[in-house]
Formats: sequence, C-alpha cells, structure tokens
Amino acid sequence: MKGIIFAFLGGACITLQGVANARISQDIGTWQAAAITQLTGFILALCILVFVRDGSLAQLKSVKPLYLLGGGFGALIIFSEVTAIQQIGVTFTISALLIAQLFLTFVIDINGWFGMAKQKMKVPQFIGIGMMVAGVIIMKF
Amino acid sequence: MMLGIILALLAGGLVSLQNIFNTKVNEHTGSWATTTLVLGMGFAASLFISLLVEGRGTFSLQHMQPWYWISGMIGVGVVICLVKGVRQLGPTFAISIVMTSQLGFALLWDSLGWLGLDQVPFTWNQLIGVLILLGGILVFKFGGTSENRGSKYESH
Repeated sequence: MKGIIFAFLGGACITLQGVANARISQDIGTWQAAAITQLTGFILALCILVFVRDGSLAQLKSVKPLYLLGGGFGALIIFSEVTAIQQIGVTFTISALLIAQLFLTFVIDINGWFGMAKQKMKVPQFIGIGMMVAGVIIMKF
Repeated sequence: MMLGIILALLAGGLVSLQNIFNTKVNEHTGSWATTTLVLGMGFAASLFISLLVEGRGTFSLQHMQPWYWISGMIGVGVVICLVKGVRQLGPTFAISIVMTSQLGFALLWDSLGWLGLDQVPFTWNQLIGVLILLGGILVFKFGGTSENRGSKYESH
C-alpha cells in the first residue's frame, strides 16, 4: 500500500512539475525556467547526497562519458514539454509524451542499442501501442 | 497544434533516452549521486542555451515569484517517490501507477486551469481517450515481457 501511494504521488509530482514549469516560463522565459528549477533541484539533491552518501561523484569516472551527458537532455525536455503544454494543453502533451517514451524504449529494446539486452517483440506490446494511439485520436475528436 | 504534438513527442523520446543513460550511471553509483549529476547537467545545458538565445537577457528575471525558486524541489520529490515505489512494487506495477497518476492529474489540471494556465474544458471524449490510452499502457506493461526489463530502464 505504501508503494502504491509513493508511485501515485510520484506521477502527480511529474505532472505538477510540467505545469509549474509552464507557469514560470510565462513570466521569466522558458530556458530561464528550466535553468532555475534544475539549479534548485540540483542544490537539494546535493544536500541529500552529502547526508545519505549512497554513492560518490568520484565513482562517475568509470561511467562512459556519453551516459554522463544524459542529464543535459533535461534542458530540451523541459523546453519541449512547456511549449507543448502552452500549445495543446496538459492532457494531450502528457499523452503524446508517454507514447513516444514507451515507443522509443521499445525500439531500443528490440534492437539492443546502448548495450541493452535484446528483447523479442511480442503481440501485447503492439496491441498496447495501438490502443495508446487510438486513445489520443479519440481525445481529439 | 502540430508544433505542440511534435515537441511533446520529442520530449517523450528524450525522456526515454535519458532514463537509459541515467540507468547506466546508476549502475556505478547511487540514486542521489545520479540525481545530483543529472540535475546539474540539466542546469548547465539550460543556462548555456539561455545565454546563446537570450544573451544578457538571461539574468533579467521579471515578475519572479518567491515559489519559483523552490519549484525545482518537486523534481527531488519525484525521485524519492519513484525509487521507493519501484523498490516496493517492482518496476512494471510501479511505473503503471505513475503513468496513470500522471494522466489523471493532467486531465484534472486542464479542467480546472489551476496556476493560471489556459483552461481546457473537460469533455467525455477526453476521459474516454485517456482510459483507452491507460488500457494500452497496461497491456503494454503487463503483456508478457520479463520483469527485469523495466527495472533496467525505469528505476532511477
């Protein structure tokens, strides 16, 4: 039950964050909003890291440099999400975003890119993607 | 309209890539070192692009409300909730609930227009569309892939 509450709150916070970023962008600009929200998040995460010490930044030396740069996508993610929310609303934005997210993960799985273990395509995944796209189309009718 | 859809799809694709890259980082260190790195890189990239696009205008923060400074902490809340949720429920179940909650709150937000965003009036088509989309996510997630698949990608 506790796990369900955490997962539920996590999802609520992801949407809330997109909406808050869209609101802040109206006042100070989208790139600035992305910079400020990630800066304050970074500072808080750093404080927690100092207390929790579940790993150190020194261990990052053994990670492939490409993977360290993944965080930089955050700038483009926030910019795109905020602009989409302003243009097509929150529901449609989150719907399209989740479909693209699941679909690309699926494609990477099938091809075994980035050293991930290859997965076989299965019928339910195709049905699932078909239903997701159908849902978005119905939403707009 | 079209631009909004393309940007939302782009954001989703980047989230997928970022999840994979973060997972690779997380294999070598803990969740908080990963989160700190990811948010630090995101800040650096945003500041860099802002300086390119807006130049000195980057630092003229007009109409700055006090809560803007702390909204970034929501992101840290997301990490805590996802890590705990995935640990207790496993990735497939946890991420299904996360996505359901994301869509439910999106619909609520559009209908109520809180925080001064444009209100998108509630329609039954929207609700039915969201429910079918959720059904698709559940079929996708529970449709016979191994459990470790999700854990590799989606736990931070």
